[in-house]
Amino acid sequence: MSATEASGKPQASAGGIGIANLPNQLHKIVTKKGTNFSLMVVGESGTGKTTFINTLLTTELIEPLDDATRRKKQLDKTVDINIHKAELEEKMFSVKLNVVDTPGFGDYVDNNDCWLPVVDFIENQYEQYLRQEQQPVRKGIVDMRVHACLYFIRPNGHTLKPLDVRAMKAIGARVNLIPVIAKADTLSPTALRQFKKRVMDVIDAQSIRIYQPPVESDDDHSTQRNQDIISAVPFAIIGSTQEVKTEDGRRVKGRQYPWGVAEVENDQHCDFKKLRSLLIRTHMLDLISTTEESHYDKYRTTQMKTRKFGEPKPKKSENKKFREEEEALRKRFTEKVKLEENRFRQWEQKLIAERDRLNKDLEQEHNLVKQLESEIEAISNAGSPNNKFFRK
Amino acid sequence: MSARMATARPSSYRHKSEKRGMTYNIMLVGQSGLGRRTFLNTLCERAVIASPDAPNPETANVADPMKFDTYEVAMEEEGTRISLTVIDTPGFGDGLDNTSCFKQLQDYIEAQFDEVLVEESRVKRNRRYRDHRIHVLVYFIAPTGHSLRELDIELIRRLGEYVNIIPVIGRADSFTVEELDAFRSNVMRDMLYYKLPVYNFCWDETDSEALAENREIMEHIPFSVVTCDEVYDNEYGS
Repeated sequence: MSATEASGKPQASAGGIGIANLPNQLHKIVTKKGTNFSLMVVGESGTGKTTFINTLLTTELIEPLDDATRRKKQLDKTVDINIHKAELEEKMFSVKLNVVDTPGFGDYVDNNDCWLPVVDFIENQYEQYLRQEQQPVRKGIVDMRVHACLYFIRPNGHTLKPLDVRAMKAIGARVNLIPVIAKADTLSPTALRQFKKRVMDVIDAQSIRIYQPPVESDDDHSTQRNQDIISAVPFAIIGSTQEVKTEDGRRVKGRQYPWGVAEVENDQHCDFKKLRSLLIRTHMLDLISTTEESHYDKYRTTQMKTRKFGEPKPKKSENKKFREEEEALRKRFTEKVKLEENRFRQWEQKLIAERDRLNKDLEQEHNLVKQLESEIEAISNAGSPNNKFFRK
Repeated sequence: MSARMATARPSSYRHKSEKRGMTYNIMLVGQSGLGRRTFLNTLCERAVIASPDAPNPETANVADPMKFDTYEVAMEEEGTRISLTVIDTPGFGDGLDNTSCFKQLQDYIEAQFDEVLVEESRVKRNRRYRDHRIHVLVYFIAPTGHSLRELDIELIRRLGEYVNIIPVIGRADSFTVEELDAFRSNVMRDMLYYKLPVYNFCWDETDSEALAENREIMEHIPFSVVTCDEVYDNEYGS
């Protein structure tokens, strides 16, 4: 260490001291440990979230719902959070993948505040991690912090809906938000370009924070690739787990229309490859580190400014449905209490009346006794053998 | 739009309507982006509704309130004149809370009924009175690929009592052939399950020839619609 301190630049002796071997050691450690990645998909039902996840992982992680469950969900009016866990392994490196699905988002007539369960979930994960870090024993921390959130935009050809704007604003402030245009094969290329531009205009005008991958890199190839990726935001994707045959005889993953085949992995048809590269191949580490460093840190700072060390988070149940239920329960409770109080009061009245009556009886008896006593006295005082007094 | 439409009517009415021209009021309801405007332009074979202006990104977080835009098209084909009135409803279902949309639609339709009632109750009626009652409501279902959504169910349930509803799947080109069949059968199942009141084409049980035809039409409900504004040289156009 003294060599570096003295000159600022490490003076490597002929064989070196072995610092250059550190990356290999790190590689071994990380390969053994594996990593943990949480991805969240948010969007209206029917935008292709399930299909996209299954296409991305080339395996059916999430099964599509059947009719009965879907019908029950239709009238449920709540947004659920479903977590699917999978462990992927490729070339001896394992990743614990968590996919968070949000059925019910934006599906109802009244979609006010439907992004609140999503935002609450994200913040709860930060909270859990914060609490676990503050425990005396820190081994075995469960880390479910969301590293990336894909927001599926329905391609209506015009612009973003108010629901999309409000939800993306709320989500983008807390997590890495990646906007995605779902079912991109419903728009023609010109329409798609125009739609992308309109979406970006709205994102800029409404100051929605989306994930910006770092552009500059060590080699030109990566820089160019990063620039390509950034220019394609929002990513237009097609999802398909089926293989179809194209006109020129290739078997590809795609969707077969009467007029041709839309291929998933063809860059001219959609941006699936770019998005997959962003999520897994090239920028997964950056997604994880930005979540842990900036988003989580922001949360931690704001929380620690207002709370003492080790104190639990004050609960605020803003869910309208819960509030209504709470009100109903409270009303029932007060009514019951009132009923019981009335009953007790009546009982009390009865007891008082009973007591008074008994008191009166007692007094009567008392008076009678007194009378008799006075008679006895009179008799004993008089002492006369006259029977008249007895006959009273 | 040929004279076949008038076969079920007595000939004197047909004669009169041919002279004067029938009034036909259609209302188009559906969320933005499902192809209402393009449908109308394709139906009338000309640009009835112009393209909307580019939306303002500054106001994208606030939904436009629902409007009723009326367009009048005079059409003529093989001697039959129809004065078609189309009412478009931009803004339906686009906001965060859409419960007020149903009431607005209901009020509008009832207002037309009220007008006719007032006119009918007059002692001296106006000979040239234009009937603005909605004859048919074309409802555009979004191609989600699963089944009907709460918005669809509520709308058909509430307005089916007042007006004839024909459900249509907008942007049906986003489906492959199998997906379209699956979606259509899901929608039909949902309609039966929730007992939704859609227009029954088989209203005339006595005319067997028309009945067979109508039954065949009914099998296609909900109709899947692909429409386009522009003509392309090659095959690639939605």
